Amino acid sequence: MRKFWNLLKKETKELINAQLIVSLIFTFFLFYLMGTLAQGEMAKAAAPQEIAVLDLDSSELSRGIMNGLSSANFKVIALTTEDRQSAIEQARESGASLLLVIPRGFGKSVLELNSMSIDTYYFIRGFSMSATSASGMVKAVIATVNNYISDTYIKERLPGVNPEELKNPVKNKDFVIVKDRIAEGSPAEVSGFILSQSTFLPIILMLIIVYSSQMVISAVAMEKENKTLETLLTVPINRNYIVVAKMFSSGIVGLVTAGIYMVGFRFYMSGFMGNVPTSGQIDTVVQKLGLAFTPQGYLVLGVSLFLAILCGLAMAIILGVLAKDLKSAQGLLMPIIFLALIPYFISLFSDFNSLSWPVKVLLWIIPFSHPFLASQNILLGNYPPVFYGIVYMFVVFAILVFLAARIFSSDQVLTMKLQLSRRSLKGIKQ
Amino acid sequence: MDAVLKVEGLKKNYGNLQALKGISFEIQKGEIFALIGPNGAGKSTALRIIATLLSPTEGKVEVLGHDLRKEPEKIREKISYLPEEAGAYRNQRGVEYLRFMANFYATEPEETKEFVKRGAQIADLGERLYDKIGTYSKGMVRKLLLARALMGKPYLAILDEPTSGLDVINSLEIRQTIREYVKEGTTVLLSSHNMLEIEFLSDRVALIDNGVILDSGTPKELKEKYGADNLEEVFRRAVI
Repeated sequence: MRKFWNLLKKETKELINAQLIVSLIFTFFLFYLMGTLAQGEMAKAAAPQEIAVLDLDSSELSRGIMNGLSSANFKVIALTTEDRQSAIEQARESGASLLLVIPRGFGKSVLELNSMSIDTYYFIRGFSMSATSASGMVKAVIATVNNYISDTYIKERLPGVNPEELKNPVKNKDFVIVKDRIAEGSPAEVSGFILSQSTFLPIILMLIIVYSSQMVISAVAMEKENKTLETLLTVPINRNYIVVAKMFSSGIVGLVTAGIYMVGFRFYMSGFMGNVPTSGQIDTVVQKLGLAFTPQGYLVLGVSLFLAILCGLAMAIILGVLAKDLKSAQGLLMPIIFLALIPYFISLFSDFNSLSWPVKVLLWIIPFSHPFLASQNILLGNYPPVFYGIVYMFVVFAILVFLAARIFSSDQVLTMKLQLSRRSLKGIKQ
Repeated sequence: MDAVLKVEGLKKNYGNLQALKGISFEIQKGEIFALIGPNGAGKSTALRIIATLLSPTEGKVEVLGHDLRKEPEKIREKISYLPEEAGAYRNQRGVEYLRFMANFYATEPEETKEFVKRGAQIADLGERLYDKIGTYSKGMVRKLLLARALMGKPYLAILDEPTSGLDVINSLEIRQTIREYVKEGTTVLLSSHNMLEIEFLSDRVALIDNGVILDSGTPKELKEKYGADNLEEVFRRAVI
């Protein structure tokens, strides 16, 4: 065991070099910076925005609209001019993002149910989020005014009738059923909530598989490039330990690297999404439906993730043997990236159950697909496919490790590349 | 006499290419035995098989009574191998490299320290031993690797072209080191195409060409047999 630790320590130290640390710090800082910038933009979009209003009507209704705008977090600048052109100039100079012009006779006309337009002028000074979010809010205020006017009209003409009932006489109630549980709620909201909770899982998995595999391929390729592999293979240590030490150290460094990237990525994403509180209602619905990870669920998902990573590492170590040097190692990573990308994109854009059989079989064959499928199945309490996936990944891992150990215990660790280059030479001769 | 290494009818094929066509030889304890021959003669293949890196196609290899096919791990405990084109971990310091390698052979921390101390003496790099290997010259790396190969007093040191690619001064120093440190009981199997170097170092030599051992004996015996002044001439006459 002492020899194994000696090797593991060296492998880990070899991987954690200055380039890796600098690139980690740089990427983390970049994500943090982008997140902070996005957060600033979101804060600006949420901050009270200046809106210039030229009220030519001065009616109760027009004043109501201005009050409505103030309540909707706008800082209203009331313009005193009578002329539309000079109002535009004044609004431009004041830096307001938009100008509302309420025409003369607006209040009277609307109350007589003759619709009239409020003209809105948008000053586009940039294309950031804060510059474009105001239009939606103005539309919301006008919708509220419309609602208010129609409700007032109905109340006056049809006393005793609830305007809401009249406008929407047919209503519906949504119920969501998951297995034997039922709860009142919108399926779209439930799906949206679950997806928002599991957005990070595919990204984490992708990152860990790619980083760890890259580490292990590089570890083998570096031994070849630095011409240290032959010496290492003649020291008195079980060859299987060499395979395990390389996989283990790459796994650890890959996990740490992916973890740091994920924290940075979370900063970046929270910049866009902020700490948006979830509505208590959806929480209750999700709880009622049992759509939350239990400790056992987390454990099963963890096992599934771990086995997928091990499969990636075992594949990588075999591919690493084929590498001549670090440069060629980068190309050899491609098959693993593709295998990780297929389930990643399919999980992003479609549902496994709605896929055709050939695609389903393809996904089943790829070991990295199983954690993607497992997270949804665990939430839905559908455990058998998760366990089949775990058994499948274990079998794949065992076969790959057996192959890797066989390669490292035979000439192939040194001659596989030799045979390939001989073949290519033959090809040139022909 | 105790044979440290016995090689019988050793053959190695790479596909259709026969690199070794059935070579046999023995090395006795404390001997420096050399395989000499031109590039591609099969020297490195033979050494790599004995170092447990390649498996033989046919034939038998025994190191201190351990069969190569059955007990390669036992053999690795008894030998050390210096490949022709070897490197060391560029991010490690010289002393770290020696410690890392010593840990595989030592059974306890005290023994590791002893091996590293001996390795430092053999390498003779002074304060540079504490610098990163990436900053070393080719000669310094070779000295460090030779120190690594000899520091644990292996029963059998396998040295493939120990002075390959080095200048005259570095080559002389390496040869001197091998001569000096094998006196302590290590048996050496080395290969070289530099016949003058072999004459200086070896107790016995085997002439190998095209995967076949043409002749073997002490340099003196061979020179007398072929009526030659040096091993280069011996080799030329043996080939004809």
